[in-house]
Amino acid sequence: MAKEFPVPPVVFTPSTPTHRRHPPPGAGPSPRPAFAPPRPSTSSAANPLPFMSFDVNAAAASSSAPPLYAGPIGVGSGTSFEDEPPLLEELGINTRQIWRKTISILHPLRSADPSLHADADLSGPFLFLLSFGLFQLLAGKFHFGIVLGWVTVASLFLYFVFSMLSGRRRGDLDLYRCVSLVGYCMLPMVIFSAVSLFLPRGGGLMFGVGMCFVLWSTRVCTKLLAELASSGDEHRGLIAYACWLVYMLFSLLVIF
Amino acid sequence: MNPQANPFGSALHGAAPGLIRTGLGVYGEKFLDSSSEFMQSNYYFQVNSQYVRNKLKVILFPFLHRGHWTRITEPVGGRLSYKPPVQDINAPDLYIPLMAFGTYIIVAGYALGAVGRFTPEALTLQFSKGLLGWFLQVILIKGLLYTLGSSEAPLLDIVAYAGYGFAGTSLAMFARIFWSYLYYFIMPWFCLCTGVFLVKTMKRVLLGGPRSYERHPSRNHYFLLFLAVVQFPMLFWLGNISG
Repeated sequence: MAKEFPVPPVVFTPSTPTHRRHPPPGAGPSPRPAFAPPRPSTSSAANPLPFMSFDVNAAAASSSAPPLYAGPIGVGSGTSFEDEPPLLEELGINTRQIWRKTISILHPLRSADPSLHADADLSGPFLFLLSFGLFQLLAGKFHFGIVLGWVTVASLFLYFVFSMLSGRRRGDLDLYRCVSLVGYCMLPMVIFSAVSLFLPRGGGLMFGVGMCFVLWSTRVCTKLLAELASSGDEHRGLIAYACWLVYMLFSLLVIF
Repeated sequence: MNPQANPFGSALHGAAPGLIRTGLGVYGEKFLDSSSEFMQSNYYFQVNSQYVRNKLKVILFPFLHRGHWTRITEPVGGRLSYKPPVQDINAPDLYIPLMAFGTYIIVAGYALGAVGRFTPEALTLQFSKGLLGWFLQVILIKGLLYTLGSSEAPLLDIVAYAGYGFAGTSLAMFARIFWSYLYYFIMPWFCLCTGVFLVKTMKRVLLGGPRSYERHPSRNHYFLLFLAVVQFPMLFWLGNISG
């Protein structure tokens, strides 16, 4: 016959430890741990999960389900979710500026405003290259990697030629700004690749239209390069020929 | 899900484009400043449009060049040095060879497309072929100068002289796009012109050297004739887009 032991009832109370009973040896629940979270019924949010952030601010501010990585966040920054800047700003993509720069290039006859391009960024060119690749894909040609490689080589070439021609008075053209310029002035080529979807393949009409767009790109690129680098006036024709070579290269991809 | 799962917290907010920017800027500077001697001298890019026009006329029609072919020297800091290309039509520059090479690539691309054989890989092949051709020309001229005794012409001068041949080649290839028989008239003409140009320039380079030009005149003439004659197969090979 088993001996009956008087087992006290198991009660978890958040209140004072005076209600705690001495747990009998070998049975019963473990003593209430010192780090047990407060009862969720006391807080405003109905939170059934016993997992709470250790950071008091984050716990107070978050209104949704508790974060899984709450521990390191609490230890790392201490800022709450609402204080974080929006994702685009965090990545440095200024969509307003990109839109303004695009519009300034789009007018073929009115000259582009060079002060807009004083702060260079690569996200606009990335968008243009992506859309160029997409239009090429619509025409049945898979050129994404090739376009990326050719833009790199072309920017290096243009940067090299430009800085050698300007000598000491390079202004403030660096490789980043050069890549950004070449990428932005690809916009007419992107339009050309869209237009070429509707033109008969390989005809003289495509060639003529292509020349117009190449000249447009060259004009904008030369103007921006000359303005931005503050010393390009006497070498304008030489730089224009280099830009023309670069954009003829991309027209090759579109026409053939 | 909370997008706050960034273990670096606020450290990299907006820093990524800045990193790329400074990285590219520094890399560009390093790329140009690596051989600072070349960059600071900047002799070969002191050109202007007028020089480019006249030099192209000299390269493509060397018979019409009325003046002399020697480079003008000026005393600089106790040493005799040559005047930069802006002031001297006979000075070599690197702008024209670079642009001529680029034109050669573009025209080859259009020529390939005109016969329906354009692919980006074919263009890359043509680029490599052009580089190889340029390199072979450099070896040829350097070997010639070495055999004839004057070996202190700077390497970039020779690179420039070797690159001038691309101007005629690209013009002939451009003509070929429109009428293929035109190529067989224009190309020999430009080979001849490039040959004459190189011979006249090399004669001046050799005369400028210290020794032994007058000692073996016939040997020198045979070598220079060889230089002119070998332009024909070299430039025909470069202009051939099916290889």
